[in-house]
Amino acid sequence: MSLMHLARRLNSAIGDAKRAGNEAGAAIEHTNKYYGLRLLRAGLFWISTYAMSRGLLALWPDTERSVRVLIALAPVPLFLWFLWIWMKGVVAMDELQRRIELEALAFAFPTCVVILMTLGLLELAVPLNPDDWSYRHLWAMMPALYYAGLWRAKRKYE
Amino acid sequence: MTNRLKVLRAERSWSQADLARHLGVSRQTINAIETEKYDPSLPLALKVARLFAQPVEQIFYLDGQT
Repeated sequence: MSLMHLARRLNSAIGDAKRAGNEAGAAIEHTNKYYGLRLLRAGLFWISTYAMSRGLLALWPDTERSVRVLIALAPVPLFLWFLWIWMKGVVAMDELQRRIELEALAFAFPTCVVILMTLGLLELAVPLNPDDWSYRHLWAMMPALYYAGLWRAKRKYE
Repeated sequence: MTNRLKVLRAERSWSQADLARHLGVSRQTINAIETEKYDPSLPLALKVARLFAQPVEQIFYLDGQT
């Protein structure tokens, strides 16, 4: 499936979910689906830009510094778009769904803190290979911990 | 907290999804309230009471009360 085809299908699904959510007496699940699909679309754009930035930075190691900084910062506006949709989705959730989000973050945030703190100390104790333990490797642990917290919280209320 | 939500829902032959739509919440929320894994907020409890035309104390009880 090409990216354009995927984008068209996503846009169509988003439109359907929005229409279903706007109907009188519609289930909140339609609204959740609408924001979930919008988040998926924004997330795909963000991750694609991130991957392009990483690729370009690896491909052009000798480019001018200011250009390299701009390439590195390119995913940030798309992440802000992703974050905006996420916040709108959280506001549209019902009270239990918002509690689940809170419990997921209450697990993920301190766990991230303790992992980063421990890695910081380990870095002083032993030489850590920067090709394995740099920021570009560690950031992925944060959404992973959030999803672990989300799974845990959802199970609690099932 | 204990509640009679399932009983009241059954009296009207509503599914959890039907009740969720009436209250503007997810089916997951209704299930969690009925299985006593989640206590609703005051606004939601009052919406439930208004929907079933009963005082909130006759739908939700603190543990040990009837």
